[in-house]
Amino acid sequence: MNRYLYDGTPEGLLAAAAFIIAEEADPEGVSLAERENTLFEEGRFIAPDPQIAETFFNRLRREAPDAASTFYFFTLAEKDGLDTSLLRYLALSFRYGDRVNGNLTHPAVRDVVTISRKVSRELHRFKGILRFEKLRDGAYLARMEPDHNILQPLALHFSKRLRAEDWFIYDVCRRTAARWHRGVLQLGAIEQFTAPALSEEEKKIQALWQGFFRSIAIPDRRNPRMQRSGMPMKYWKYLTEQPGGSINRGRLKQ
Amino acid sequence: METLEKLQILSGAARYDASCASSGSRRENTACVIGNTSRGGICHSWSDDGRCISLLKILLSNDCVYDCAYCVNRSSNSVPRASFTAREVVDLTMEFYRRNYIEGLFLSSAVMQSPDQTMERMVTVAETLRLEERFGGYIHLKIIPGSSSELVRRAGLHADRISVNIELPSHDSLKRLAPQKGKQAIIEPMSLIGKEIRHSLVERRTSRCAPRFAPAGQSTQMIIGASPESDFQILRLSEGLYRKMSLKRVYYSAFVPVNEDSRLPVLAAPPLLREHRLYQADWLLRFYGFSVSEILSDDAPNLDESFDPKTAWALRHPEFFPVEINRADYATLLRVPGIGVTSARRIVAARRFSVITPEGLKKIGVVMKRARYFITCSGRPFEKTDRQPALLRSRLLPGDGGAAAVTEQSGQLLLPGLFV
Repeated sequence: MNRYLYDGTPEGLLAAAAFIIAEEADPEGVSLAERENTLFEEGRFIAPDPQIAETFFNRLRREAPDAASTFYFFTLAEKDGLDTSLLRYLALSFRYGDRVNGNLTHPAVRDVVTISRKVSRELHRFKGILRFEKLRDGAYLARMEPDHNILQPLALHFSKRLRAEDWFIYDVCRRTAARWHRGVLQLGAIEQFTAPALSEEEKKIQALWQGFFRSIAIPDRRNPRMQRSGMPMKYWKYLTEQPGGSINRGRLKQ
Repeated sequence: METLEKLQILSGAARYDASCASSGSRRENTACVIGNTSRGGICHSWSDDGRCISLLKILLSNDCVYDCAYCVNRSSNSVPRASFTAREVVDLTMEFYRRNYIEGLFLSSAVMQSPDQTMERMVTVAETLRLEERFGGYIHLKIIPGSSSELVRRAGLHADRISVNIELPSHDSLKRLAPQKGKQAIIEPMSLIGKEIRHSLVERRTSRCAPRFAPAGQSTQMIIGASPESDFQILRLSEGLYRKMSLKRVYYSAFVPVNEDSRLPVLAAPPLLREHRLYQADWLLRFYGFSVSEILSDDAPNLDESFDPKTAWALRHPEFFPVEINRADYATLLRVPGIGVTSARRIVAARRFSVITPEGLKKIGVVMKRARYFITCSGRPFEKTDRQPALLRSRLLPGDGGAAAVTEQSGQLLLPGLFV
């Protein structure tokens, strides 16, 4: 079985996949892994090539748009060790087009689709549970700690929705941020983060939302289990409404 | 009165309205300064009763001239009363929307002086949001029964969804419990809305600039358990509404006793399980190709509490099973208990590549708990299918762990795919 190596970047991976799919008669029979730079590592190294990677990805987008977006979400999961599955998935995408995602009994397809689905589910969740706070200079700031690296697609969503405002989304774990300023979106790393001061009216608006959150629940239908299944507790940290406040108080206030 | 106090009164008064969907509409209008809608809808939070919060759901006023027996806001109740001005609602919506608390606004109201006067003020809120603030988010407007057709038309031009509540499943109950709301006052706007929606769709086929009318369609709601109607009557009514009035959704709201009234039944707790079963049956009507006559009949007019309606149907129709996973068409797969829309689609997609084995079925993500008694994989059954119906019933009864817990907890159906 031929073994290939790449440098660990998405461009490297795409370039390697392009090479292997063009050269190998049966991509199912080869393996691909990230190079670890040990002396005795066996395998053929394929150098990253942004040009080849882009051409390859554009071809994928043309021939199997669903598979291309599945691949994109998969890369946001930052999952190591599934390079061979990914290679096989890409090869199958060119063979079957978008139908490939239905081939769930194939182990490689299942690996890739399952992880990709988790990412898109988390992205969708954050479109709802991200909370902005108004800062003193009039811009808005949202902080989050998602499991996957969803900053880019999430920022794209808000760039269409909150067009007229200036805002930041800060991924606390990855120390990356998106900035929307006068209609231009930038992504970058944040060296050091100091929480800026909130605008004066902010606490008042937050209190309104908290008041609404409490009174919209029907006391006779209290159901914390369903609340947590819709909105797992790991996401509660940055929620303005502070769910669970009433759990500590025992019964819901009428 | 402070805004916070008003907000608490008027959201507390609106919480018995079940609808919070923000789906079914797609607006990516660059003419709007702020906001868009997402076709699948987005949930922003989940309240302590486990229901999703997608919209700022409030009443414009709870100061009602009507005296409906079941309603917390009826005129004879001594509850704190409040009313918002249009500006207050608009400001709240915009501030909440900018902070991503909500997908948009759900506005209903008590009848203040007259239906028209109330509706006029509600429409003003929607018009201010759309025209002054150039708000592109979701708006759901409740139509006050008895409002003029002119106001209904104005509402539909600015709202994504509009709805008229049926409230009670029969004419008699309506007369008894909500004497001021006539059946005609409810049905007339519903059919007008249906007509306008169809008309707008036809117009838009020829011109993209033709105005959209309630692009997310119309819905309605009825209270379950406050009046004596059977599930059969309720579901026949829903079926009629889906077929004849092309409604998008019928919501069922378990009756929560909030008033002392001799006309109302005394319940130990809201009938949450019944509500859950009705939603399950409703799903069978809309997505699974069932008709009401297959689910219930005059001899058995109420849904089985121990089994979901599809399992109950399957137990009554042993001749339909087992279903062969590798050959059955999509519609047949959908009739298998435990196989939903997602699983059926995945089975159909996967078997184009290879024969599905029992292990493969699990790998696809099909839950076998109930399905195992009703299917074969390449002729091989999972369980002995010649099992006697009585034995099968006892096996499927929720008893051990998971199923029982789900039945008790699910006051409300989780809606896969709609919000997630």
